[in-house]
Amino acid sequence: MYLDVRGNKTYAATGGKEFDNSLPTVMFVHGSGLDHRSWALQTRWFAYNGYSVLAPDLPGHSLSDGKPLESIEDMGAWLAEFIRAAGADSVHAVGHSQGFLDVLELARQAPELLKSITGVGTAGAIPVNPALIDAAANSAGAAAEMLLMWGFGPDAQFGISAVPGMQPIAIGRQIMARNPLYEDLVACNNYREGSAVAKSIDLPSQLVLARKDLLTPFKAGMAFAEELNASVTIIERYGHMLPIEAPRQTLQKLRELIGGLEHSSERK
Amino acid sequence: MSRSSYLKPDTVALHTGYVPESDHGSRAVPVYQTTSYVFESVSDGSSLFNVEQGGHIYSRITNPTVAVLEQRIAALEGGSGAICTASGMSALFTAFITLCSAGDHLISATQIYGSTATLLKHTIKRLGIECSFIPINDEQALRDAIQPNTKMVFCESIGNPGLEIANIPAISAIAHEAGIPLVVDATFATPTLCRPIDHGADIVVHSVTKWMGGHGVAIGGAIVDGGRFDWAQSGRFPELTEPYAPFHGIRFWEEFGPSALAMKMRAESMRDVGAAMSPHNAFLILQGLETLSLRMKQHVANAAQLLAWLQQQESVTWTNYPDMESNPSHALAATLFPQGAGSMLCFGVVGGRAGGAAFIDSLQLASNLANVGDARTLVLHPASTTHSRLTVDDMQAAGISEDMIRVSVGIEDIADIKADFKRGFKAAQRVAGAA
Repeated sequence: MYLDVRGNKTYAATGGKEFDNSLPTVMFVHGSGLDHRSWALQTRWFAYNGYSVLAPDLPGHSLSDGKPLESIEDMGAWLAEFIRAAGADSVHAVGHSQGFLDVLELARQAPELLKSITGVGTAGAIPVNPALIDAAANSAGAAAEMLLMWGFGPDAQFGISAVPGMQPIAIGRQIMARNPLYEDLVACNNYREGSAVAKSIDLPSQLVLARKDLLTPFKAGMAFAEELNASVTIIERYGHMLPIEAPRQTLQKLRELIGGLEHSSERK
Repeated sequence: MSRSSYLKPDTVALHTGYVPESDHGSRAVPVYQTTSYVFESVSDGSSLFNVEQGGHIYSRITNPTVAVLEQRIAALEGGSGAICTASGMSALFTAFITLCSAGDHLISATQIYGSTATLLKHTIKRLGIECSFIPINDEQALRDAIQPNTKMVFCESIGNPGLEIANIPAISAIAHEAGIPLVVDATFATPTLCRPIDHGADIVVHSVTKWMGGHGVAIGGAIVDGGRFDWAQSGRFPELTEPYAPFHGIRFWEEFGPSALAMKMRAESMRDVGAAMSPHNAFLILQGLETLSLRMKQHVANAAQLLAWLQQQESVTWTNYPDMESNPSHALAATLFPQGAGSMLCFGVVGGRAGGAAFIDSLQLASNLANVGDARTLVLHPASTTHSRLTVDDMQAAGISEDMIRVSVGIEDIADIKADFKRGFKAAQRVAGAA
């Protein structure tokens, strides 16, 4: 569906069903240079199993208009405006990589909009290699090549795909090459507030980390989980692009946390 | 260059799409000879049907062995995904009917495989889809042929059997200006010699029966979605951008983006038409694909040597090979096919149609049959066989003459191929002398 956020036409995937704010809502936030399609194998399940789904494309990404946002702080503020524009009271927020930094900022700025937070393939800070930022300044396509080479784990490099016949690395490249990867990477690199935010928020939280993650090494994620007091799952064999590389395992963890919270709130 | 994997092509051909499975550690890709797959639960089955997760339901739609081949071919071509089909013709049919509906129009090169020409000229016309045939490298003719309802431009990277090279960068630029995708049948080149997506093509089709398999024991086809075409910006493809009723109103472009076309073909054509590749054929094609690059080197080397030798033979009236210096397409061939423009060549022999027939009938090593791309040398008289259903005018437009011998040069020792052809020339000379 399309919404107006800050005067810009903004796209949000709803998992193939119309958004219904009377249902518990799960919001999925994509990582640097990506879009809502990162969550294609999680959103539809939630939408068809009792939830409403919002998976926005951040401004200037894929199907959303507008200039790309320049800081994680502003992305967090934008997410709050987005949730309100969608008419949701509060959401379970799930973020991949940079998307989780955005969720942390949302939690700092508007905790009343959140029921839980989940980070997938992430950490509390994501410093970016200067060579990657330089590459992105010149060519999103060249930077996408580098990012995807490091981002996908060994199985994906061998062309293994959760969806028969498809090539996730090529799909990722096509999406990233058209999106404002440079702005995202700079915003990621500049963000230093993760630890402070972790100490200030009090929400059910979990991190789903990948053992073979070269971009946000799982040790960094583990350390941040302690600061956040979050439960942690480590998925073996896979790399940074967990929602795409290990969609079933990622979905399972989301179902467990979000389903558990919703179930307990129903009992109350 | 668009990559599906960071492995080099020779490694992709051997490894992509499969890592040894956990139950038995099979090093080779197993043949999953099964029609269907057990669901873990009712809910699991439901989520597979609803594309909430990836996986296999029924082998008409996907199969694990076929999927390995699909992922491997997609990686070799630099595409976002691939669909394998029962034959090259079913791959073409799938591409055509996925992009075109009744009332639509497409543009095709005149120099194409005879059965493809028949499909475009007669079969899909019955479905209400019109096709304009043009000399594909005539840029003005291409511009003039584009209509408001044109849905695709189609050509072969190397035309069969005229061996015309399609100027893919120029054709795709004109097509894209009008918001139309370019579909290229790249069977004669294989991704070893030319990756059309790198040059601007949007969709690549193969008969994998040919060089990809190379053994001549299995029929199959493939369609590769390049993943770069913006179906929404084009405005010509509501089938991909608007709700698709049979699938809960799914919008393929919004949901899948760079793999929208491949997902649509899977969800619609494989389900409804059912031209699925058998897992056993996929396994056989995979065996061939593993050595594709090695074979193509030998095919191209043999073609070059045979061409040079044919040009010295008194019985040969003319020769044609895309990369030949006297060929107008020489410079283009060097750009698009730096490793060689395939292993198909054509020539005329003395004695006209009868001389050609005598030549073919006297061969002992080369096989007279309706196939190309076998590891063995194959010959054919197109005017009597593959293109016999065309009118004389259509045949001429397709680059065919009555004396034409089409050769798919194999990887045998070149000395043996020459010796066999010498035998053929003697027979042709006898016919020519008697006339």
